[in-house]
Amino acid sequence: MSIHTTCDGVSRRDFLRVGALTGVSLSLADYFALSSQGAISGAAKGKAAIFVRLAGGPSHMDTFDLKPDAPDTHRGEFKPIKTNADGVMISEHLPKLAKCADKFAVLRGVSHTLAAHNLGTLYMNTGNRPLPSLNYPHYGAVVSRELPGIQHLPSFVAVPSLAENATGYLGVEYGPFETGATPQAGKAMDVRGLALKNGVTIEDVDRRQNLIQRYDGAFGAFAKEDKVLAGMNQFGEKAYSMMRSPKARAAFDLSKETASINGLFGTDAFSQSCLLATRLVESDVRFVTVSLGGWDTHGDNFNALKNKNLPTLDAGLSGLFNALAAKGLLETTAVFVTGEFGRTPKINARGGRDHYPRAMFCLLGGGGIKGGQVVGASDAKGEGPKDRAITPDDVASTFYKALGIDNRKEYNTPTGRPVMIVRNGTPIPELIS
Amino acid sequence: MDLKIMNKADSILFEHSIYSGQTPFHMNKIFFAGLGLVVAMVVQAKVPTTPTAPERFGQLEKAEEPSFRRHILPLFSRVGCSGRECHGAFAGQGGFQLSLFGYDFAKDHKEITADTEEVRVDQKDISKSLVLLKATNQEKHKGKERIKPGSWEYNLVHKWISSGAKNDTEKTGDFDRLEISPKEIVFKKAGEKTQIRVLAYWKDGTVEDVTLFTRFRTNDDSVSVVSATGEVEAKDKGDTHIVAFYDNGVHPIPVMLPVSDKVGASYPKVATPTKVDELIIAKLRKLGVVPSETCTDAEFLRRVSLDLTGTLPTPNQVMQFLADISPNKRTAKVDELLKTPAYSAWWATKMSDFLGNNPRVLRGNGAQNYGDKFSRQWYDWLRHRIEKNEPYDKMMAGIILATGRTKPTQSYEDFAREMSSYFRAENPASFAERPNMPHFWARQNIRTAEEKALAFAHSFLGVRIECAQCHKHPFDQWTQNDFKSFQAFFGGISYGNKPPGKTGDEKVTFASLTKEIREAIPADPKSGNNQKGLGNEFERRVKAGEPAPWQELFAIAKAPSKLSEREIERLKKQNPNFDSRVLTPKILGGEDVLLTEFPDPRTPLMEWLRSSKNPYFARSWVNRVWASYFNRGLVEPADDLNLANPPVNQELMDHLADGFIKNGYSMAWLHREILSSATYQRSWKANDTNKHDEKNFSRFVIRRLPAEVIVDGVAQATLSTDRLASFASDIEVRAIGPNANAGRGGKGASNYSLNIFGKPVRETNCDCERTSDPTLLQTLYLRNDPEFLTSLEQARGGSSWVEEIRRQTSPVVSKTKQPAAVPEVKPEPMNPDRLIEQVFLRTVSRPPTALEFEKARIDFAAAASPAVGVRELLWAMLNTREFMVNH
Repeated sequence: MSIHTTCDGVSRRDFLRVGALTGVSLSLADYFALSSQGAISGAAKGKAAIFVRLAGGPSHMDTFDLKPDAPDTHRGEFKPIKTNADGVMISEHLPKLAKCADKFAVLRGVSHTLAAHNLGTLYMNTGNRPLPSLNYPHYGAVVSRELPGIQHLPSFVAVPSLAENATGYLGVEYGPFETGATPQAGKAMDVRGLALKNGVTIEDVDRRQNLIQRYDGAFGAFAKEDKVLAGMNQFGEKAYSMMRSPKARAAFDLSKETASINGLFGTDAFSQSCLLATRLVESDVRFVTVSLGGWDTHGDNFNALKNKNLPTLDAGLSGLFNALAAKGLLETTAVFVTGEFGRTPKINARGGRDHYPRAMFCLLGGGGIKGGQVVGASDAKGEGPKDRAITPDDVASTFYKALGIDNRKEYNTPTGRPVMIVRNGTPIPELIS
Repeated sequence: MDLKIMNKADSILFEHSIYSGQTPFHMNKIFFAGLGLVVAMVVQAKVPTTPTAPERFGQLEKAEEPSFRRHILPLFSRVGCSGRECHGAFAGQGGFQLSLFGYDFAKDHKEITADTEEVRVDQKDISKSLVLLKATNQEKHKGKERIKPGSWEYNLVHKWISSGAKNDTEKTGDFDRLEISPKEIVFKKAGEKTQIRVLAYWKDGTVEDVTLFTRFRTNDDSVSVVSATGEVEAKDKGDTHIVAFYDNGVHPIPVMLPVSDKVGASYPKVATPTKVDELIIAKLRKLGVVPSETCTDAEFLRRVSLDLTGTLPTPNQVMQFLADISPNKRTAKVDELLKTPAYSAWWATKMSDFLGNNPRVLRGNGAQNYGDKFSRQWYDWLRHRIEKNEPYDKMMAGIILATGRTKPTQSYEDFAREMSSYFRAENPASFAERPNMPHFWARQNIRTAEEKALAFAHSFLGVRIECAQCHKHPFDQWTQNDFKSFQAFFGGISYGNKPPGKTGDEKVTFASLTKEIREAIPADPKSGNNQKGLGNEFERRVKAGEPAPWQELFAIAKAPSKLSEREIERLKKQNPNFDSRVLTPKILGGEDVLLTEFPDPRTPLMEWLRSSKNPYFARSWVNRVWASYFNRGLVEPADDLNLANPPVNQELMDHLADGFIKNGYSMAWLHREILSSATYQRSWKANDTNKHDEKNFSRFVIRRLPAEVIVDGVAQATLSTDRLASFASDIEVRAIGPNANAGRGGKGASNYSLNIFGKPVRETNCDCERTSDPTLLQTLYLRNDPEFLTSLEQARGGSSWVEEIRRQTSPVVSKTKQPAAVPEVKPEPMNPDRLIEQVFLRTVSRPPTALEFEKARIDFAAAASPAVGVRELLWAMLNTREFMVNH
C-alpha cells in the first residue's frame, strides 16, 4: 500500500521540532545551523530591511495622498507638489522626498478597521489583524528567523526600542536588540551590552573572556554534549566577538560616517536614527526599525505637521533613501514606512484630524520594489479606497516577497497550531518585478 | 443534585489505564516468515476474531453493505481526503469541502451526495462517480491517487454507492471505545516491524476490526514510525507512543526500543526508596536506562532552594548544610524551605503565570486604572493561601466561583465600600483575607464566553481546546460542538457596571456613585469634562474608605440559548463548517447540565473539577509541579493534556494525582513527595545509557534559571554581608515577589533583564510564555550590560559587598571633623582565601575546589585591590554556566 497520510499535514513530531526553537530541550545546538540555513528563495533582491514606524498615525491627506479638489471641510492647508517621478504628487512640505520619489512607491487606499493605537500598530507591524488568542511576530522577528545572521552583530536591531512582544509566537531568540537610545550626530553610540562602559576597556574584555574560561569548567566534557550548555557557550562566543569587533563598534559610531553621507541627513534624532539604520544594514544587520512619533494630531494638525513632523520626516527619510542609494544598498534593502492608520479626512473643530484606518498610506521602496509610482487610490475625499482596497496583509506580503520570504509559509506556534506568516495577504503585482 | 457528567471522563481514564500494567498479559514472540528474525516482544491481549476490511469488502459481488459512519468517512479521513491541506481545509479544495478529519457526518454526507449535478456520487453509472474517478486519479486529481481501482477500498465506496449512498449515522448509534492490540510494543532492534490491530466497540454491541479505517500517528518519528495500515517500525532507541484515531476514539499505545541490553533481569540493582522511584525505575528497567548517581549535598541544596523557593542558598546555609551529618537532612531541608516566605512568594508567581495574572488586562473602574493594584491583590491572595497550605481545590474554588460581592446578600454600597477599604489610606483591609478572588474573570482579554472557556481550560484543566473553536481537535476527541457546549457555561459571567439585563432595586449603584462624583466636581469650562478632577475625587473617596463606583464581577445562570442570527453568521464566516445549534452547556467529556438548576453556572463546573474521577483538575496541577522540577511534565507540554499525548509514565501520574487528592489537595504534600524522591536527587552526570534521556527522569536535566531567579540571584550574590542574610525573605524587593509584575508595560530598566530572560507577560493561554532558552541578549547582559556591571558595585536592593570590602580595606578618610574620642580604625588585612570562598558560595553555592583556589589566588594577587579582585571574580562566576543553570 503506497498511500501516505501526507494530506494530514504536520505531524506531532514536526510540532515538537519546530516548538523546540522556542522550547528548551532540543534546539540550541541547532540554532545557529538553522538560522544560517534560512528558508529563503534566492531570487529576491532584498537582503535586509528597514522599517520606519510613524507612531500616532500620520494624516494621509496632508502627506502622500492630498486631495486638492476636496471641499474646504476636508482638503486641508497644504498643496501637492510634483516629484521627480511622473505623476507622483506629494505634500509641499516634503520637498526633499519629492526629489527622490523615484526610490519609493506610494501606496494609497490602504485600508483596515482598527482605529485604536495599539491594535492598529499590532496590525501594521505584523501584517496580521490582531487576535486575542495569538500574538503575531513583528516583521523583524520573522526576518531574523528567515534570513541568515552574522556573527558579530545581531540580526534585528530596534532604534531605540520596540513595543514588547515583538517576537509573538516565535520566541525570544528572534527578538530585537534594542539600542535603548537614539544616536547623536557625529558621535559613537553607547549601545547596551556592546559599548564599553563603566570603565571597561578592550583589554578588560579580553581578560574577562579569559577569566570565564578559567572558571567555567564545572561540567567538563558534558558541556559539549548538553544542548543548553553548548548553546550558552556559542552565545558566549558570539557576545565576545560582538564586544570585540571593531566592525560592530564602527557600525554604531556615527563619527565614522563620511561627510557626503552625513550631509544627506538632518542632525535630529530621527535623521540620525535613519543614518544609523543605513550603517547597520551596511554592516549586515538584517532588520532595523526606526521610529518617529508625534503624528496623533487631534488638534492643530497643520501647524504641527508644517513646523515639525513633515520637515523631520522629509530630512530623515530622504536621507535614508539617498544614503542607501549612495552606499549601493538600495537594491538589496527593502524599506517600509507606515503609521498605524490615517486620519479623518474631515477636519475637526480643533483644527485636527482623528484616527482613521479606512484610507491610510504606506511607502515601500528598495529591495527591488518598483519605486516612482503610486499604487492604489483613495476616493475623492480620501474617505476610503477608490476601487481596490489594499490591505495591510497585502503590504506585508509584498514586503516579505521583496525579501524572498513566502508570506504563506507556515510556522507552528508553541501550542502546535499551524499559522502562516501572513495568511490573507497577496503581494501587490505592480510593486514586485 | 444528580450530576451524570462522568461518562466520557470515565472512558478517558479507562483508556489510559488499559496498559497500566494491571491486566495480566502474556508475551508472544512472533516470527516473521522469510526474515527469520526474532521480532518485537509484544504484549498481546485476548481479542475476538473479526474479519478484516479486505476480507469483508475485497470482492465487490460478495461485499457487505458498508456504513457511512463506520467505513466511508473514516476511509476518506485515513487516505487523506479530509486533511487540512486537502478537502478538510476551510475553503475546501477544488470546490469539494469536507469537515476536517471527517467528524461531521451529516454535512459531509450532504457534500458528497447532494451536489447539484449529482456527479460525485452517480447512482446510474457508479464507476463514473467523481469520488471514485478522483480518488483513483482516473480524472486529474491534485491529490494524486489515493486508492487503486479494484482495491477493497474502491469496492467499499462502490458498494456503498450501489447500496444507496445512505447516511446511517443515526442508526449506528454511539461509539463506545477502541481496543488496540498489542497494548504495548517493546522492540529489540531498529528496523523491526509489527502490525497493530484496532477493534472498535459500539454501544449497540457491534465489534469490528477497523485497523484499515484508523488514522495512525507516531508521537516521535525518530523512535518509531507507523504506516497508514498500522504497521509499526522501530527506528531508533527510545520510547514514544503510537496513537490510533477512529471515530470518537483516540488511543495511544507505548512503543519502545531499549537503549541498552541492561533490561529485565540484566538490569542493575537500583534503590527505590519512594513510590515515585519505584515507578520511575519500572519504566527505566524496560528501557534499559540506568539512572545517574545521587547528586552531592551542595548540588541538592542549591537545586532544591532554587526550585522550591526561587532563591540561592546563602553562604552560611551552604556551610551549615554541608556540615550537617544527620541522615535525613535533605527531607528536613525541604520541610524547612516550605516554611520560608520565598517559597510562597515564588509559587504565587508561578501560579500567577498559570492563571494569567496580568496587570495590563485588569481595570477596576472604567476611568481609573487599577491594573497594578489588582494584580498585586491577586498575587497576595494566592501567596497568603500558599503560605498556609490551603488545599488547592479550595483555593481554585475561591477563584472559579468568585463574584464581586463577597456575599450574595451584600448590597452594592457595601461592596463599593469594601473595595475602597482595601486601598484606604488608614488601616487598609486585607484583600488576601477575602474569601474569594474575582480578578481572574475580570480580565479584559477574556470578555467573551469563548475566551473565558479557553482560559478556564488552560488554567484549571491544563487542556488546550483552541483547535475545537473552529474544527475538530486533531489530537483529542473534542469537536467544535463540544467546545460550543462547554463555552455555554461562561455566558453568564461578566464584569462591568451593572448585572446584564437586570434593573436592580438598589438605591446606591455604580451609576448613582458616578453621579455623586460628577456632582461633586465642577465641569471644566473649556472641554466640558474634567477627567482629572473626577479621577481625584474617585481617589479621595477610595483613600477615605468611602464607597466609590467600582465595577464588579457578576455570575448569573442563563438558560440554554439559541444563538442569534448574527452570531451564527459570524461563526459561519469564521468557519464554513460551523453547524449552528442550540447550545446546551456540556462539561468537556461529560453530559448536558441544566444550568437553570444552579444559581451560578460555575457551580456544576467546580463540582466536576472536584469529582474524584476528573481526569484533568488534579493532574494538571501535579503535572505543572512536576514540570517545574524536572524541566518537562509527565505530560509534555505541561499544559497540553490530551488523549493523544499520554503521560510518559502513566502509573506515576496516577500515583501522584491520587495521592494529591487523598491528601486533601495539599500542595506541600506534593512538593515533599516529589522532592524527597531519589529521582529528584539524581546527578546531572550522565552514563552511557542515559545521556540522551531527557524525558524519563533518569538524570537531572540541566536548565537555565528562570528570569526572576537569575535577577534575584545576581542581586543576592552581590549584596553586602548584612543585607545578604535578609534578602531572601524580603519579598517586596525580590524579582520573584509581587512587585516584579507591576508596571511590566513600561520600559523601565528593571524590567529589561526580566524581559530578556523570558518572564511571561501572561497574555496568552500557554505555559510556554515563560521561556528558559538561552539567548544572545542574555549573554550580552551578563557579560557587559551597564545595569549588570553597575550592580556589581551597587547591588540592587541594598549596599554591595564590593563596596563593603572597599570600605574595610581602604583607609577611612573622613570629610567632617571627627571628635577626638573616636580613634581611627585601621582596616584589617582581608584574607583572600575567605573572600574567594565567599565568591564561590555566593554564586555557585559550593566552596571552591583546590584547583579553583589556586587559580583564584593568582587572579586575586594580580588585582589592584581586594575589592577589585572580588569584583572580577564575582563577574567571572556570575558568567559561568554553572551559575546560570540549575544542575
